[in-house]
Amino acid sequence: MHIPDGYLGPQTYMALDAAIIPIWGVAAAKVKKTLRSKQVPLMALGAAFSFVIMMFNVPVVGGSTGHAVGATLIAILLGPWAAVISVSIALITQALLFGDGGITAIGANCFNMGVVMPFVGYYLYRLIAGDTASTGRKVVASGIASYVAIVAAAILAGVEFGIQPLIAHTASGAPLYAPYPLKVAVTAMASEHALFFGWVEAFATMGVVAALAKQDSALLEMKPASKSMRWVWAAFAALVLLTPIGALAEGTAWGEWGTDQFQSELHMAVPAGLEKLSGLWSAAIPDYAPSFIQNPLAGYLVAAIIGSAVVIAATWGIAKLLARKRDDADTTHPSAA
Amino acid sequence: MIPALAHVGKNPERRPQRRRSLARRTADVVGRAIADLLQNEDHARASGLLQSLDPRVRLATVLVMAVTVSFLHTLPTLALTIIATMVLASASRVSVASFARRVWTTAGFFAVLLSAPAATGWISPGYELLGHGALSITAPGVLVASRLILRVVAGAGIGMLVVWTMRWSDLLGALTALRVPDVIVATLAMTQQQIVSLMRTVENIHLARESRMLATGSTAENRQWVVGRMAFVASKSLKTADEIYDAMLARGFSGHWPTLRRMRMSGRDVLWLAGLVAGCALVLGADRLIAK
Repeated sequence: MHIPDGYLGPQTYMALDAAIIPIWGVAAAKVKKTLRSKQVPLMALGAAFSFVIMMFNVPVVGGSTGHAVGATLIAILLGPWAAVISVSIALITQALLFGDGGITAIGANCFNMGVVMPFVGYYLYRLIAGDTASTGRKVVASGIASYVAIVAAAILAGVEFGIQPLIAHTASGAPLYAPYPLKVAVTAMASEHALFFGWVEAFATMGVVAALAKQDSALLEMKPASKSMRWVWAAFAALVLLTPIGALAEGTAWGEWGTDQFQSELHMAVPAGLEKLSGLWSAAIPDYAPSFIQNPLAGYLVAAIIGSAVVIAATWGIAKLLARKRDDADTTHPSAA
Repeated sequence: MIPALAHVGKNPERRPQRRRSLARRTADVVGRAIADLLQNEDHARASGLLQSLDPRVRLATVLVMAVTVSFLHTLPTLALTIIATMVLASASRVSVASFARRVWTTAGFFAVLLSAPAATGWISPGYELLGHGALSITAPGVLVASRLILRVVAGAGIGMLVVWTMRWSDLLGALTALRVPDVIVATLAMTQQQIVSLMRTVENIHLARESRMLATGSTAENRQWVVGRMAFVASKSLKTADEIYDAMLARGFSGHWPTLRRMRMSGRDVLWLAGLVAGCALVLGADRLIAK
């Protein structure tokens, strides 16, 4: 996910470089307040850890390996603001010491992996794990949080790539930087992280959290970020309210075609298997448009509210179920703890 | 030979018939990264053109060049920038062959892979040079892909100039002189030292496993072992931070980071900067003329 120089145009990288500076300022002030002068060695070690964790090859399936970013893990261990500084310094060091990641893209890389990942990961972990003392729930929460966080950062990187042909092109319309349209860039980034790198991140984070819970559970004590979770919910509600913007986009996401669109997009006959299975399941709210609402934007918003509620309830339920199973196993085999 | 030391030396014994274990592969990657760090420091100590400039001017040089490249739109000016990075590398006593190999095998290779679909009619429809339909190679596609590859290679070359001609201590000095908060500079300074220390720990952990292993183990076993070592490194990092902080307090640390380095720009540095800005403005002007 390290964006090199050349893929993002000046409009994008300059905006992200400008955006990251005040975020670093706020992060430095927050960290100073919570960690005081101890901050420097702690953040330096956090940055060094963030750097070396990317060097561990984590086996996934069939002999393939990948490496984790570790931003959610660092946010859980140090708090999200300290993670912003630590991961950003690790990324700057990679760019300047090893040439990994572009110089002009430092702002974009730090925003995607150093801000979005720690914050999404940390608050999702906090939401699922709560104040529990249960190791199982913490492990499951860390896995879900790190998976969602890396996919979110990948989607954001995909958006950054995908808007390039729209905002930077020649008079004839030829793209000057990353050439792929939004639907291709976002689909490619989201799918490779959802199918592969997300699992590497989740395996690594869950494993480290489980091992730390056994070795030194004090390290997993929740680090302060803000006094309450209210603003996280407020931000979440704001995102839900902004979902009607999605209805303004034209067409269907690449690869998500129905049988009718398949033929028009790919100019090939619909495969028999696809045609046969296409009618197998009818969605409760097809195309994010509830049948009882006429206005498409209002329908999109209601669909977002229903979908979010279902996802939160399901995540909560699965986390509780898995945590209970793990705690039962710990009670049955106390030697394992 | 002791298995743990098999990778050390110029001609290590290799067993090409057998696939390297996960532990050996990771140890090799970490070992190479440490060797790269030491080699970069050697390049940065050489008495070349860029090394002789004030560190602030060196930093400004790469930033101005990187921003200029991002504004170029035509192939000749992008190619000219690539040549300029190679000339600068050569004048800075960096082997042009190693420089080009490093740039092309990392950024260049991935840029070629990533831009390949953009050369087809699927992404860039237009006059078909080869084949027919969505998979044909088109003229606008070749232009788009070439522009992306040249831009990425030029950017990577500029990045490598920083890596190979700038000592870490010079970079920190330049950042301090440019009024970057001392907390950030101090954290960067400590990070570099801790990275080397942690990398050695990670390498030793993997070599120790390699030396004790009789079989490669299953994916699940290897994964469990890897995440266990990650937890060890995380725990060690946080405990080391406490120890370092105690040691800093014992040596009179009060929260401030004084720097002993005083930088002075010479007339040569000013001349270089003026020439650089003029050169970049010329290239940008030529780029716009060619684009018209």
